[in-house]
Amino acid sequence: MNAMHPDHALRDLTRRHFFSRCSMGVGSIALASLMAERGLAAAPAAKIRNPLEPKRTHFPAKAKNVIFLFMAGGPSQLDLFEHKPKLTELNGQPIPDSYTAGKRFAFMDTSHRSNLLGSRRTFKQHGKSGAWVSDLLPWTAGIVDEISLVTTCKTELFNHAPAKLFMNTGSGQFGRPSMGSWVTYGLGSECDDLPGFVVLQSGPRGPRGGAVLWGSGILPTTYQGVPLRNQGDPILNLSTPKSINEVQQRQLVDAVRELNLKRLVETGDDEISTRINAYEMAYRMQTSAPELMDTGGESQATLDLYGIKDAKETTFARNCLLARRLVERGVRFVQLYDTNWDHHGGPTENLEKHLPENCRAIDHPSAALVRDLKQRGLLDDTIVIWGGEFGRTPMGEVRESTGRNHHIDAFTMWLAGGGFKAGQVYGQTDEFGFGAVENPVHVHDLHATILHQLGLDHERLTVKSQGLDFRLTGVSHASIVKGLLA
Amino acid sequence: MKRTSPLPLIVLLLAQLAARPAAQAAPSATVEFNRDVRPILSENCFACHGPDKAARKADLRLDTREGATATTDGVTAVVPGKPDASELIARILTTDADDVMPPKKSGKHLTAAQKETLRRWIEQGADYQRHWSFEPPKRVTPPPVSGATHPVVPRSGDTPVAEAKGKVSENKGDKSVAAPGVPRIFNPIDAFIVAKLQESKLKPSPPADLHTLIRRVSLDLIGLPPTPAEVDAFVQAAAKDADGAYRALVDRLLASPHYGERWGRWWLDQARYADSNGYSIDAPRQIWKFRDWVIGALNADMGFDQFTIEQLAGDLLPNATESQKIATGFHRNTQINQEGGIDKEQFRVDSVFDRVATTGTVWLGLTVGCAQCHDHKFDPIEQKEYYRLFAFLNNQDEPTLKVFDRRVDVSGLTAEFQDIEAKLKAYLKEHADELAKWEAGLTPEIKKSLSPAITKIVAVPKAKRTFAQNQTLFAAGVGGVGPFRELNDRYKELDTLLNNGVTTMVMKELPMPRKTTVFIKGDFTRPADEVTPGTPAVLHPLNAERGTRNTESPPTRLDLARWIVSPQNPLTARVIVNRVWQHYFGRGLVETENDFGLQGTPPSHPELLDWLAVEFQQPTATPHSPSPIPYSLKSLHRLIVTSHTYRQSSADRADLRAKDPGNYLLARQQRLRLDAEIVRDAALAASGLLSLKLGGPPVYPPIPDGVMGQGQVKRTWAVSKGEDKFRRGIYTFVYRATPPPSLNVFDAPDGFSSCTRRIRSNTPLQALTLMNDSGFFEFATALEKIIQQDGLETAFRRCTSRAPKADELAVLKKLDPLNAARALLNLDETFTRE
Repeated sequence: MNAMHPDHALRDLTRRHFFSRCSMGVGSIALASLMAERGLAAAPAAKIRNPLEPKRTHFPAKAKNVIFLFMAGGPSQLDLFEHKPKLTELNGQPIPDSYTAGKRFAFMDTSHRSNLLGSRRTFKQHGKSGAWVSDLLPWTAGIVDEISLVTTCKTELFNHAPAKLFMNTGSGQFGRPSMGSWVTYGLGSECDDLPGFVVLQSGPRGPRGGAVLWGSGILPTTYQGVPLRNQGDPILNLSTPKSINEVQQRQLVDAVRELNLKRLVETGDDEISTRINAYEMAYRMQTSAPELMDTGGESQATLDLYGIKDAKETTFARNCLLARRLVERGVRFVQLYDTNWDHHGGPTENLEKHLPENCRAIDHPSAALVRDLKQRGLLDDTIVIWGGEFGRTPMGEVRESTGRNHHIDAFTMWLAGGGFKAGQVYGQTDEFGFGAVENPVHVHDLHATILHQLGLDHERLTVKSQGLDFRLTGVSHASIVKGLLA
Repeated sequence: MKRTSPLPLIVLLLAQLAARPAAQAAPSATVEFNRDVRPILSENCFACHGPDKAARKADLRLDTREGATATTDGVTAVVPGKPDASELIARILTTDADDVMPPKKSGKHLTAAQKETLRRWIEQGADYQRHWSFEPPKRVTPPPVSGATHPVVPRSGDTPVAEAKGKVSENKGDKSVAAPGVPRIFNPIDAFIVAKLQESKLKPSPPADLHTLIRRVSLDLIGLPPTPAEVDAFVQAAAKDADGAYRALVDRLLASPHYGERWGRWWLDQARYADSNGYSIDAPRQIWKFRDWVIGALNADMGFDQFTIEQLAGDLLPNATESQKIATGFHRNTQINQEGGIDKEQFRVDSVFDRVATTGTVWLGLTVGCAQCHDHKFDPIEQKEYYRLFAFLNNQDEPTLKVFDRRVDVSGLTAEFQDIEAKLKAYLKEHADELAKWEAGLTPEIKKSLSPAITKIVAVPKAKRTFAQNQTLFAAGVGGVGPFRELNDRYKELDTLLNNGVTTMVMKELPMPRKTTVFIKGDFTRPADEVTPGTPAVLHPLNAERGTRNTESPPTRLDLARWIVSPQNPLTARVIVNRVWQHYFGRGLVETENDFGLQGTPPSHPELLDWLAVEFQQPTATPHSPSPIPYSLKSLHRLIVTSHTYRQSSADRADLRAKDPGNYLLARQQRLRLDAEIVRDAALAASGLLSLKLGGPPVYPPIPDGVMGQGQVKRTWAVSKGEDKFRRGIYTFVYRATPPPSLNVFDAPDGFSSCTRRIRSNTPLQALTLMNDSGFFEFATALEKIIQQDGLETAFRRCTSRAPKADELAVLKKLDPLNAARALLNLDETFTRE
């Protein structure tokens, strides 16, 4: 796909999709002849689609869908995956200057400290890969042979909102499309009654940065992530107003379609046919979204697999189950945010109490999701990503309880399915886990690799704005991390 | 670039036409550098062989003739007149994968036609031209138009300069798709447009129906649909004198205070205006005085030069007035990061980056922001020049200005304030142990890091602390998130509103300028050479604008502002007329409205663009100003909307579908979905609920539950009462991180960066909003009452400004009145300007 102005992208699609799905009401043939009477050439008789219609990939794809489990705040890799005896040994000692010279950190003026903090967790090696996982993630430890654990992820920004933007859009600047938007822009969606890019949230608050994290930036809002909410309507304005019954709603949609069709014939404006499609899809969503959210049909065994005790309660576990249901329905990109992983120490987010709580909430369901996708044959087609916007420092923070500062030089993420290698630890960090000593993986590399698996060339997936071809992986060089691929 | 294709290829050709201005479709025999060659070189070669020294490969630059014709190691890229001796040609033609240019890995590819163009260009002497937009605009005499009876007067007048002779088919009622009419030339715009159409053997469309016309021009000039009574009056007047009635209508609309609201939003998009600080905390801010300033200045038709100067440097004007200081809020619309643990300087620098980029985009139509990290890859702007611009904007203090405003609803806000105070007191009481626990946990180490204010409070015995002290302490300790924060932020906001008057964010020059340096790769931790304020060498000189002022002292923001509106500036007038034009036709004459540089698309009608730019700079008499003023936006609007090009029908035509499906040549008008705010305004107007109150603090119309919980900090959204619930969309409070859904879903900009052109998406979520949103449902219930009282036909007219046809009425009659009202508010036509 060549760079196009976003409006062109839309208009072009609309043109090709003229008369799409107008098979109801005035039939498409009748419409075509009406248009012909007006002297407007009938549109190509090709099958008609909407702007999210599946598109051709740049090359054959290994994966079709993505589920991104985003631990918002920055999980501590040093208490979860990175076993560093040296850190424990030198607990309380200052980190050698050679590590930190010239580096900048968050909270430079207040609580940032330079003394090493050893982990209090117990680490063991697991699976055939021998990956180290701490006692906080027993369930994840059970799937290490399904995942590629990347210990050398590297990002560029160390404050939450900018770093989250970076992880999602490849840039710390506002206004760039998020990964989910890029992917739905590049591939469309295989679901015609739900949005192509869906966001689910758990935790006590929204992720820092808010809606820009799933925004479509310079791409049309067609590609923006749609938050599925657990309270009230799953999608804003999904339900029919209280005093309106189902028959009336269908009558409304039919009447609007009929009148819009008349206007389409009068004006010949293709946008009206897109509008007609949009109303049909909206109407279908009114049924399909509640159906999606209703997990009543799931077996007890499945609920147990995810560790769901009360299927009505908003939890990360329920969101994982929903993620599977979304992917089953052909939704292209699903992103789960779980908040409050910002363990600086202190009364609300510390390593002693809160990190274990966070882990308990996400460990079991994350692993279950991978297992469930696998047993249903969906894992081959689905990339599961686990991680946050950055990691945490080997140095501790002095607050009333322990914590760690934001760290961008090396942090851990894992990927499963979608052609990623199963059962390996990728990358090697130094004795403190401060930086990579081998195989660093920059966020842009990660993005390039994920797009690659989806059949998209990150250098060709571009959109024109301000005279430049914007892309997810930015202007500097990004490479596909071959070592991560099966 | 594109040659005439045989018929079977027509589909392919159409697709290409859609992506490129049709103006480029037919090359003339002589290759013209700017039109034919530069776009090819810029797109495919300049990234490695262009202005950026650091990225330049093989020491070859193709953006200058010197560079292209220089011989290095016995090899010459371009030998004028001798394509076969030119390495450039050899390299683009070779089949050797290692040698071919552009290299495969660049993802770029030259078509056979492009290669041929380059070959012929070299054959014809390889002439270079300066990029068109860096040359001053020239006023060209509008071309003669065959079929028009009167010669075209090169100045716009208030009366039609020419009227086509012969039978003009008046478009009556239902026949939207009528036969193309005989050219009508109301003013030079039409002459330029028709001349180009005639080249393609196309004719403009007939005038739009009267009801379409009044609806179109009302929505375009004031952002509101006409009332049925206004439509009737116009139709009656037009029966006597169609043109006179239309001109009177245009004058009435331009004099309406709602003109400033409609076009104010156009400017606020570019000013990245919103009501919160952005980033993750996204606390509310007060800067609506700036919004009202914009509306007022546009209503008064302040010349665009003065409009510019006051916003960029109003504080530096001699004896600056309060209003001129408020205007400087333009560049305070940057985000402020209040996240913990940040380096403040980093985000201050980021906001200056934003100001430089925004100034470049908004006024120069140049992507100067690209030179933040390196020399510009395509345009002649060096990195050092970028930082010289940066230096102008690096010396500010960022204070707030107190302004007392009569329009604040003191009693309503006081009641809310008291209510919140009571809630806060109760909350503090209830959560006293949390605070105690937090205090007990304060180690000496932590105590040292506390602010002096907090330390002071901690020292006060618990029992003796005031409410305010407890509140501050709680906010500093455990109350950083959650319900306390929500209440407390609103409390502080109200406190400011009620007790300190209104404040607004402004610019103020520091007594001692900050030192400005180049930042290596745009990284503020890597300062390099120091620079002084200055403007890019490719444009007109700065000093000319400094007049009698002491040229020894460094130039200031005021000099920058004056430099921007200098008559010598080749860009600003073009950029602004283009951005106004785009509002009327859905696309600018330069399609890349924010990039007039080398990577931008060339204008579809270059002479028209220049003519308009020069016209814009001429003093014109306006009803608002005793003496003629230059840069009158109202005169520009009047000029455009009184052209036939603007007034013609938007209905598509069979011949245009084949020849110009993208409507680049403007043989018809363009149907455009209304902007987000106006979707709301039009529905409010149709349902009779609209409040026409002007200005004042932002309002909080109903939004769906749970929306405000999306950001890091939950915010209260105290739904406005009374008529404030039904104000125009421009007055809705906008949190950057949590924008109001019904505006966001219709592509309202997010205020994170300057928006010079809105996208118009068309999505199922828009359908859900219009069908089900409680706000729109409320409008529908009001429209239902109108149906019950005045009948379906009236309701239909309120939504579409036209009478329904029998078959349309029949569809609606099958519905109950409420559903009929909902259907009317959901019609594509209701929220489209035709």
